[in-house]
Amino acid sequence: MSDFERQHPVAAVSKAFSLIRGNLLTILIFLFVGARSESFPFLWWIGGGFGFLLVMGFLNWLRFLYKIEDGMLHIKSGIFVRKNIYLTKDRIQVIDVSSGIIQRSFGLVRLDIQTAGSSSRQAALEAITREKAYEINWILREQSEQTTEDLLSSDSTSDIVDDSRMIKVPNKELLIAASTSGSFGIALSIIATVFSQLEPLISESELFEYFFGLLPSQTDTILILTVIAIFVLFAWLISFFSTLLTYGNFQLIIKKKEIVISRGIFEKKRITIPYNRIQAIHVTEGIIRQPLGYASIHLESAGYGDDKGTGSIVLFPLIKHENILVLLEEIIPDYEKKLEGLKPPSRSLRRYLLRSALPVTVISSFLYWFMQLNIFIWIFPLASVWWGWLKYRDAAIGWGDDILLMRSRRLSKSTAYIKKKRVQDATVSQSPFQKWRNLCSVQIFVASGDQGKTFTVRDIELNDGMKLLNQVRKNGKSSVILESDYSNKILLPGWP
Amino acid sequence: MSEPLFHKITPRAIKVWQWGNSIGNLFYFMIPAGYALFFGLEQFHFWMVLFLTIMFLIIWILSIVLMPYLLWKNWRYAVDEKEIDLKRGVIVKTRTLIPLSRVQHVDTRQGPLLRWYGLSSVTISTAATTHEIPALDTVIADRVRRQISTYARLAEEDV
Repeated sequence: MSDFERQHPVAAVSKAFSLIRGNLLTILIFLFVGARSESFPFLWWIGGGFGFLLVMGFLNWLRFLYKIEDGMLHIKSGIFVRKNIYLTKDRIQVIDVSSGIIQRSFGLVRLDIQTAGSSSRQAALEAITREKAYEINWILREQSEQTTEDLLSSDSTSDIVDDSRMIKVPNKELLIAASTSGSFGIALSIIATVFSQLEPLISESELFEYFFGLLPSQTDTILILTVIAIFVLFAWLISFFSTLLTYGNFQLIIKKKEIVISRGIFEKKRITIPYNRIQAIHVTEGIIRQPLGYASIHLESAGYGDDKGTGSIVLFPLIKHENILVLLEEIIPDYEKKLEGLKPPSRSLRRYLLRSALPVTVISSFLYWFMQLNIFIWIFPLASVWWGWLKYRDAAIGWGDDILLMRSRRLSKSTAYIKKKRVQDATVSQSPFQKWRNLCSVQIFVASGDQGKTFTVRDIELNDGMKLLNQVRKNGKSSVILESDYSNKILLPGWP
Repeated sequence: MSEPLFHKITPRAIKVWQWGNSIGNLFYFMIPAGYALFFGLEQFHFWMVLFLTIMFLIIWILSIVLMPYLLWKNWRYAVDEKEIDLKRGVIVKTRTLIPLSRVQHVDTRQGPLLRWYGLSSVTISTAATTHEIPALDTVIADRVRRQISTYARLAEEDV
């Protein structure tokens, strides 16, 4: 084994697809702009772009060489700038095997190797044979207790090692997760692009006339509302199916030293997270899911980055409120879960209401008086007052012996558990208005992927903020500072 | 809980910020200039340009005369074996605590202005954030950097 080898040629195609996925937003913008230019036919844009990506994929494949020598993996890559990567046993954190549609139809696998540094995403073998993956894994993970057979049999889940447990998401919950997922934004932008392409076709055709002839009365408002409703429906359908495909076959396997998540219907993905990389766990209750009694659980991990470089991983896509604590107890038994907490004092309610209602009210009144919009626009300021009240109600901080809890709401309510020793930096800040009212905001930073992740709670009592800051201090860990008759005291996290 | 021993940064920082702001904030005047280019100087637009110019002139003068002093007055830092403590902010007051075991690396930096006044800034990076103690005397900056990196090695834990 002293010669460099290439990957299986299929890697070229798979690389092209992963380039598409990675640059989806750029491509969408390009298509959007491309549609405006009359001189250049739309199909040329698509065809040319796809051809270019294929050539890129091919060149990538051509210039990607790897070899195994002296118990380490040596990778040479890069089309113009040559990059040499040496991976040795002691630096490797995690080896993941996954297989997409392309890989599976050729009986190949994709091997992701993550190291402690942040340049982890460079070390991936797009398409190699199972035997090769086995060999590399054997060389790089000799002493690890994760057996290679276990790693390679990622499709069949029958072989559960004795000390590991497996948790699945029931189909019913998966459907609920898909129908309440809030990934409207991406879906809407896709639809807008498609629509901008089809618009000239549609508006010329009889169909368009016919379709709008069906509507009861052709006032502008109804027309706009119908278009919006159709858009939202399509966006909902897209986000429904994309969530279903991403989180189908979801499995959570809990082992002694790591958590393994595997998910995906066509594109199988397998993520291994060692326990010592977990930086924070947060439970998110979306604005649609919360009234239905559901939440999702996320995990912040250091070193593991997805394509965007964030370390946020979906630990569980959907769970009933009453089961959250039970599941968390399964996954992270060493986290203290029920804590005493502090909520913002009642005098900060005014600030919460003002902060969310003021901008919305200003914009709505501008639209109402200057743009002559419908009176229904006043629904938005009313909703924003309610939203401000929700934010006030959900804000809270809490702490235990070695753990902090930060609960707050933007659109969805998030409850974060952070081990004190994982806190990278704690900040208390005070604006002049807050100073006048003796309030402050606290921010806790944790490491997550390439960047960090921030948890913020606003307008709590200044004293409480300083207490939280002192919790992060090494010699300030006297945990129970909460007097029993303190009026702001509540019990966290607030699920049954 | 006893407060740690806080240090001020050097008063020479005021001079540095004054020079920096007087040049850097000149771009404020691009706004009235751009307005004049776009709308011309007829009647209403003339008064608008005048208003914008005076407003930004006042801001510019304040950013030279007042802000550097207030910034300096509000900056405090403390380093001990366990934590780095930073207090700063003129309008929004901020206090940050960085556990030393989380510090990944410490650098000192020196731009041309800082070098002219014999100053350096100390940059502290964790896995999630980066903080800067601006404008310390070069000798002190080196000492602070050494101090932090020594303490950080002692406080070493796994990430």
